[in-house]
Amino acid sequence: MADAVIVVALLLVAGSATAAVAVRDPARQALVLSVLGVALAVLFTVLQAPDVGLSQLAVGSALTPLLIMLAVRKVRRCGRTGDETR
Amino acid sequence: MNGWILAATVVLAGGGAAVLWGVTSGPMSRRVVAQNLATSVACPALLLLAQGYDRPAYVDLALLMALLGPIGTLVFARLLAVDLAGDRPRAGRESPACRANDGNFASGPAAWGPTWAAAALGAGVVVAVCVATGPGRAMVKLLVTGALLIGGNVIASRALSGGFEGVRGG
Amino acid sequence: MSRRLRLWLLAVGGAGVTALLVAAGLDLPSFGGPSHPYGDRAVRASLARHTANTIASVNFDQRAYDTLGEMGILFAAVLGCVVLLRQARDEHRAEPEPAEVARPVRRYALIVLPVALVTGIYVVAHGQLSPGGGFQGGVVAATALHLLYLGADYRALERVRPIGLFEASDALAVCAYLVLGLTGVLAGTAFLANTLLPYGTFNTLASGGIVPLLNAAVGVEVASAVVVLLAGFLDQAVEIEEQQGS
Repeated sequence: MADAVIVVALLLVAGSATAAVAVRDPARQALVLSVLGVALAVLFTVLQAPDVGLSQLAVGSALTPLLIMLAVRKVRRCGRTGDETR
Repeated sequence: MNGWILAATVVLAGGGAAVLWGVTSGPMSRRVVAQNLATSVACPALLLLAQGYDRPAYVDLALLMALLGPIGTLVFARLLAVDLAGDRPRAGRESPACRANDGNFASGPAAWGPTWAAAALGAGVVVAVCVATGPGRAMVKLLVTGALLIGGNVIASRALSGGFEGVRGG
Repeated sequence: MSRRLRLWLLAVGGAGVTALLVAAGLDLPSFGGPSHPYGDRAVRASLARHTANTIASVNFDQRAYDTLGEMGILFAAVLGCVVLLRQARDEHRAEPEPAEVARPVRRYALIVLPVALVTGIYVVAHGQLSPGGGFQGGVVAATALHLLYLGADYRALERVRPIGLFEASDALAVCAYLVLGLTGVLAGTAFLANTLLPYGTFNTLASGGIVPLLNAAVGVEVASAVVVLLAGFLDQAVEIEEQQGS
């Protein structure tokens, strides 16, 4: 019956990964990717791989969203200043 | 399969479904609240799993999630401040957030309901796991994790509902 | 090739791959079975060298050469990002705008920053005992530093983050890893052999021989690399703008 928690974790990963592909706007995608990171960390834990889960948590909870959102901000700023000079 | 793992499965299934639904639908205010909720659901689940698998080493995972999860939400609160300004998650009338701002909230879904529910879940799980562990260094680590989880959850919700009003380009 | 033909080709290829994957998947040994030839040997070697965390023993002792390659990958990636994101000739630096952050958020950031920093160092130091190690702890420590940006503003972060120092410590940590490996050669054994220090007492901080030292080198390297990487992104997103009307 410990398989039930593995099934739940796998379903969460599959659901959030599909949602990450289906959402197109980068800012919203970053939010879904953050949830996907948490789901992956939980999946690695229930599969008895805490070291990998810790790596996933460290990278996916704050670092990856920060990189994506900074890139989104840069693109928006460039777009805005491009419109102003026109 | 013992009671702890069963409880963790229930928390993951219910909380995970709510988080997935919230983060993929609706306005931006609901999505960021759902992202904040993901941390507050997964951290108690990890604590329950650590107790269920009888591996105290897994508490380190919960500790790091309680630390880094709210930081992730702060990233979104700060860098999406302009997006959220017109679509604020509505704070309750009795919350301290309402006094600090002049009440220019758009009609978004209430953010503090899920926050307090998640805080209650976290507190309950931490108390249960502490009772099962008994006094010692392990309990101190559990209490620190619980404090970081609940404090971080509340502060992240505060940040999402108006904490970065004055941030424009920085 | 028309679009319909391409989609048919994709469908046929996809069906073939699916059939092969299902056939292979049904043939896999079940999860959690009793047969683990590599795992048994790895755990036995790890326990013989008094390292409680077998993953750390595999990463920093039995396959330390692979970890050197991984560290090199991170170093090269950050180097590439620094080159790509540097300020170009037709860009200039604007002052980052000061930010007005709510006081509870600011207080939270200032309280959690030292806690997260200490947690990162704890994870690095206990790499040979509990899940964690140099990489995970290094990322946590670097993220802790950026709470200054999230909770205050970019100028506060710039004041405590001299970029030259972090770039130098990144390179020095990679060199430290190489030097620790060379001590094995100088002692007459192999590169990155675990012969520098005694194995110590099992399940204490002083155990595992060379594993804690390599953990520390990787921790410093990863923390510095992440800080330098985020500095490039932050400068581009917050400060650097294109020259107007040039």
